[in-house]
Amino acid sequence: MAIMISIPAGTVANQEAAQRLTENYNTAITTTTTLIEVSASSGRGMFSSTPSGAPPSMPSAGFGQEEVFINEAVGDEIRTIEGVKDVVPFLEKSSDETTSETISTPRGSFSISRPLYTITGVCLNSMFISDYSILPTNITAGRKLLEGDSGVVLMSLNLSEYYGVGVEGEVKIYEEYFTVVGIYDSTAQGFMGARTVYMNITDAQTVTGQVGNVSRFDVYAEDVSYVDSIADVIKAAYSDLYVTTYEDRLANLQTALNNAESTLAQTQATATQEIVIAVVATSLIVLFVMLYTVRERTREIGILKAIGFSNWNIMSQFMLEGILISLIAGVVGVAIGSVGASFLSSVLLPHISLFSGSSGRFQPSFGSTNPGTIGSETTSVALSPELMLLAFGVAVLLGALGSLYPAWRASRTSPMEALRYE
Amino acid sequence: MSELVLETQKLDKVYKLGGRQVRALSDVNIQVKKGDFISIMGPSGCGKTTLLNMLGCLDKPTYGKVILDGVDVTKVPEKRLFKIRKYKVGFVFQTFNLMPYLNAIENVELPMEGTKKSGDEKRKRARELLKLVGLSEREEHRPHRLSAGEQQRVAIARALANNPSIVLADEPTGNLDSKTGYEIIRLLGKLNIDQGTTIVVVTHDSHKAAHASRMLFLSDGKILGKEKEGTHLLKKELICPHCGREIQPDDTFCPRCGKKL
Repeated sequence: MAIMISIPAGTVANQEAAQRLTENYNTAITTTTTLIEVSASSGRGMFSSTPSGAPPSMPSAGFGQEEVFINEAVGDEIRTIEGVKDVVPFLEKSSDETTSETISTPRGSFSISRPLYTITGVCLNSMFISDYSILPTNITAGRKLLEGDSGVVLMSLNLSEYYGVGVEGEVKIYEEYFTVVGIYDSTAQGFMGARTVYMNITDAQTVTGQVGNVSRFDVYAEDVSYVDSIADVIKAAYSDLYVTTYEDRLANLQTALNNAESTLAQTQATATQEIVIAVVATSLIVLFVMLYTVRERTREIGILKAIGFSNWNIMSQFMLEGILISLIAGVVGVAIGSVGASFLSSVLLPHISLFSGSSGRFQPSFGSTNPGTIGSETTSVALSPELMLLAFGVAVLLGALGSLYPAWRASRTSPMEALRYE
Repeated sequence: MSELVLETQKLDKVYKLGGRQVRALSDVNIQVKKGDFISIMGPSGCGKTTLLNMLGCLDKPTYGKVILDGVDVTKVPEKRLFKIRKYKVGFVFQTFNLMPYLNAIENVELPMEGTKKSGDEKRKRARELLKLVGLSEREEHRPHRLSAGEQQRVAIARALANNPSIVLADEPTGNLDSKTGYEIIRLLGKLNIDQGTTIVVVTHDSHKAAHASRMLFLSDGKILGKEKEGTHLLKKELICPHCGREIQPDDTFCPRCGKKL
């Protein structure tokens, strides 16, 4: 009964997760449509996984994928294309240092090796900062980066906790020391945005030894109507670069959304199947228990009939008993369910993961709308009062249903036969 | 002639056992008058219990009529029979058949469930009845804390709960030792004299059967022609048959001449 109750809880949780995902996507989709991303690599790689226990096979540098760079002069050329409004360069590079982490999922434990941090060098142009939200906005301590900043960094909260530094503290990035001027909350950004260090792009180029290089450009068109032509020109001129427009990203997101939806649909189908099985099993259990009870108490039924109890009296007594037992079971089930639902769901329900397909690489729009968080959505169970009430109702209904036939049989027992029963 | 409470006419009962027909009762005609104390005697397997089940509407005859208080109960549909069992008949079983999870007074109240009596009225009636059978002190005891004799007294009180037209007792002393058995028979006799309760007892024990006012003999499903008067008849007049002086209903021996009644 407890398991039965926890399954609808899981279903509700999945629906909530689906809703959250959709909201995330919707917000993401409504962001700028004029952005064309030009990158040297096809997308950020995620991580490579090895079965638990096996040594991490990943090279220490890179994030599961080789990091490729573009000469920053390309940006100047792109800027001359008709309709281009701005070209914003970024340099992203992962640290050589890595950490190894174990992630437990229902499908087993995975050992993940990932860089300790990722540098994002941004062009600290005040117009870029204000118009294109190239920096995180949810600053929890200190300030964000400003035009002209150098030798300073803005780092994520968990990274600052890892290093044990606060604002004004010093941190060593690629053999050089930087002063922390601000810390941003990365908890809402999930797996990807959690360990990024933001700094002036020239600092980043120097410290990583990539002077004159960038990893990508965000190209902004004057108007949506220019987007396609700009993309075509770039594609024609630089065949080795990856160009993604709003439509491409939308398609990627759509694919990811479809994946998520099919995962959810599968989970829900499984949950529905389990509910049906649980309901049938429960009814059968009640049926057999009540049949047994009726048999055990045949003599008692005989006595009651002999002293003048009607068929209806006897039937209602057994029905009531079945319902009462189910009610008690319902209370116990809800109690166990509320304690064990989260545990059960983590065991029974697969996590919804979107670590594949779409690069999910969007111009970082920080906060809860970062697509990176999509990947870290997991199913959790919310045991609402409505759900408990539903579970209760189902329990009582099944009790009544399961005891219907045994009670009817009890009421039809011949008193003479019943009295002879030993 | 006093009015008839119970009458059977040409009662037949045929069982089918593995394709074989077994005639349990054959042309049984008995008449029970109001205030009668009848014992039906016979060896085991002669159809005593079968007859009693017919009289108590627990079973239907193959042929014949059972007329209880002027109603042919064999014609009453099963759905309405419970009312007759409840209000017209009180059953006393060999094995007492009390509800083990109810105490004495609750057991007595049980047949009053579903009647128009209020909870207080039921309790009052149950208390009266337990007093009548001499168990006032044992109201709160559950069956397992009562002796066999006491359990049968509770069962008798339960049988009387709805003031039935007739009390049917199936070997009421069968599970009791001789002394307690006599106590129960005397209790039934006392109820018959004091309350005017009509009682039919089936037993194979001729000594106990002799305490009734009339003794019928059942053999191979037939009532034998000879009918005897029991000693109870004398007690009903409360006169010692030996010395002709006054006696009490539950006296076993005459208090005057000391002879067995």
